[in-house]
Amino acid sequence: MYPDERGYFGRYGGRFVPETLIPALMETEQAYRELAGDEKFRQELQLYLKDYAGRESPLYFASRLSENAGKARIFLKREDLNHTGSHKINNTLGQALLARKMGKKRLIAETGAGQHGVATATAAAVFGLECTVYMGSKDMERQRLNVFRMQMLGAEVRGVKKGSETLKDATNEAFRDFIRSFEYSHMVIGSVVGPHPYPMMVRDFQAVIGRELRRQFQEQEGGLPDCIIACVGGGSNAMGIFYPFLEDPVKLLGVEAGGCGTAPGQHCATLSRGNDGVLHGAFSRLLQDEYGQVMDTHSISAGLDYPGVGPEHASLRERGRVDYVQVSDREALDAFMQLCRMEGIIPALESAHAVAYALKIAAALEEEKSLVINLSGRGDKDVEEVARLLGGVGSEN
Amino acid sequence: MWKKWLVCWEVLGVKIRNRWDELKKKEEMALIAFIMAAVPDEDLCLECIRALEQGGCDLLELGVPFTDPLADGEVIERFHHRGVRRGLNLKRGLDFAARVRDACQLPLILFSYYNPILQMGLDKFAGDCRSAGVEAVIVPDLPLDELGRLAGQGLELIPMLAPSSTLSRVQMAAELDPAFIYCVSVRGVTGLRSLPEMEIKDYLQKVRRVSTAPLALGFGISQPEQVRAFREQADGVVIGSALAQIIEEYESRPALLPGILEKRCQALKLLS
Repeated sequence: MYPDERGYFGRYGGRFVPETLIPALMETEQAYRELAGDEKFRQELQLYLKDYAGRESPLYFASRLSENAGKARIFLKREDLNHTGSHKINNTLGQALLARKMGKKRLIAETGAGQHGVATATAAAVFGLECTVYMGSKDMERQRLNVFRMQMLGAEVRGVKKGSETLKDATNEAFRDFIRSFEYSHMVIGSVVGPHPYPMMVRDFQAVIGRELRRQFQEQEGGLPDCIIACVGGGSNAMGIFYPFLEDPVKLLGVEAGGCGTAPGQHCATLSRGNDGVLHGAFSRLLQDEYGQVMDTHSISAGLDYPGVGPEHASLRERGRVDYVQVSDREALDAFMQLCRMEGIIPALESAHAVAYALKIAAALEEEKSLVINLSGRGDKDVEEVARLLGGVGSEN
Repeated sequence: MWKKWLVCWEVLGVKIRNRWDELKKKEEMALIAFIMAAVPDEDLCLECIRALEQGGCDLLELGVPFTDPLADGEVIERFHHRGVRRGLNLKRGLDFAARVRDACQLPLILFSYYNPILQMGLDKFAGDCRSAGVEAVIVPDLPLDELGRLAGQGLELIPMLAPSSTLSRVQMAAELDPAFIYCVSVRGVTGLRSLPEMEIKDYLQKVRRVSTAPLALGFGISQPEQVRAFREQADGVVIGSALAQIIEEYESRPALLPGILEKRCQALKLLS
C-alpha cells in the first residue's frame, strides 16, 4: 500500500523540508491517520461534501462532442459543478476539518489559478478560521476574478513578487509562513505535492471523484470505462480520479501542459520532459537545469504552470501504470472553444487540456470506446484571458 | 599514488573539530559567519570574507544560491535570487569556495539545498568539496531522516535541530557524532527577530543533556547582546541575515563595506 511509512511511493516522495517543520508534519500525519479511521469524521466530511459542496458531481454523456469527435463515447465528470467551481473544494473541506481537529486557528494556502485559494478561503469561512493565501503577482493579474473572490470570502491575499511570480514562488512563501506559524496554522496544500503526508492526504480527499465515477459508470453504462483522462499540473484531480482504478483494466492518461514549445521555459510538461529532483518537500520529477536550478515554466493555464509534480505520479509513470502526454496552449484553447460551442460548458483552461487530448484520441479510434474526462473546473476565471488571447469575445477561433 | 589515495579518503571536518577544541580551551564562543558565495560579485565577496576573518570570525558558512530557498527568510532569499540571476550554481559555488580557501584560513562549511547536490551526483559533490577545501556541509532541506542520502562519502554533515524538535530527534542528531549541531533558534526561517530567551535556553539545555557536540545557535541572531545572553548555553553563534543587511546597505560604497563588516564581527566576538 502506497505510500510506505516514510511517505515514499516506490522511490519517490519523502520529506525534504527543514528540520523545524518535521514536528508539524508528524503532528499532521498522526491527526490525519486518526481522523481517517474515525466514522464520525467521515460522516461530517460526507455531509459537507453533499449539502455544502453539492456532491456527487454528475457524470454527463457529452453526445454532441462525442458525435463530432469520432468513435468515442465521451463522458464528463462534472467537477466544474462543485461549489467554488472546481475539484479543489473536496480537499480543502477535508483539510479544514483536520485543522479544526488539531486546534489550528488559521489556514495558509498557495494558489496558481486561484481555484485552490478560493476553495481554501471558502472552507475557512464556513469553519470560522482565518485564511492567508499566497499567489504569484503574475497569476494575480491573469486571474483577477479569483483574487476578488478570495478577498470577499475574508481571506488575505498576499502577492508574491519573487522569482517567476507564479505558483512555485507562492508555494515557497506559503511554506515560509507555515514554518513560522505552524503552532496555530495549518498549511492546506492544494495538490498531491509537498512533503509526506500531503501527497497521500490530498489524494485520499480527492479519491471521492474516482469512487463516484466507478459507481455512476456502472449504473449508467455498466462495467468500467475504457479510458480516463485528466490534466496534470501538481496532479490532484488526476490522482483523485485515477486512484480507485489503479488495479483495474482501465487506461489512465495524464495530460500535461505542453505550452508554446519544447524549449526550456516554454512548457510545464514535468513528467514528459523533466528528471528526478527535489522541490517543495518531495523527491519527484522536476523541470530543472543541469545544475539543479528549478526552471521557469509556461502554460496558458495558471493552474498547470508549475515545474514539479506529485511523487505518486512520478511513481505511476515509472511503473508504466499511467501514460503522461502533452497538449499545447493552442490545442487547449481549441478544445476550450469546442466544449463551449458543442456542449454549452465553459471549462477551466486546465481541464481544457484533458478535453483536447480526449478529442485527439477520439479522432484516431477505429472502434467505439468510452472515454471519461475529468472536467476538473469551470472556466469563468479564464473568460477574460481567453477573450484577450482570441482577440475579443465575438471572434471565431 | 598512495599518498594521493590517502588524501582522497581523508575524512573531512578535522579543521572544524580542531577549531572548536581550541575555542573551548580559550573559553571563547565561536563566531560563525554566513555569507552567500560570489554575491554581490566574486571580488567584493572575497574582500568581505577577509574582513570577517580579520574581525575575529572563527568559521565560515558559504551559501550556494538556489532558485527555491524555502528555509531562508527575506534577506538571505534576496541573495539567493541575486546569485541565481548572475548564473551562480553549485559548480560555480564550489569553484568560489576554492578561491576562499586560498584567500583565508577560515574552515569552510558549504550551505546548499539538496537538489543541486542531487543533480551533481554525490560522488562528484564529495570529490569537489574535498578539492575545494570544503570541510563540512549543511543541507537545510535534508531533515535528519534523510541525511543518510549523503552518507558513505566521508563528508562531515552538520545536523540541524529546532526548538520544536522532540527528544527522539535530538537523539538522532547526537548519534551522528557531528563536528557541531546547528541549533535553529526560532520557529521560523532565517531572519532578524528577537528571541524568547528562556525558551531558547531550555531548548539548548535539552540538546546539551543528550549530545556532547558543540552547539551553534543560528537564525535570528543580530545583536551583540544576544550573543552574550546565550554564552552559557551555546558554544557558538551563526550570524547571517545581519551581515547580509550590512552588505546590502553598503555595497554601493564598496570601499567602506569591509571595514564595517570587520567592526561588526569584532563587536560580536568581544561579547562572546
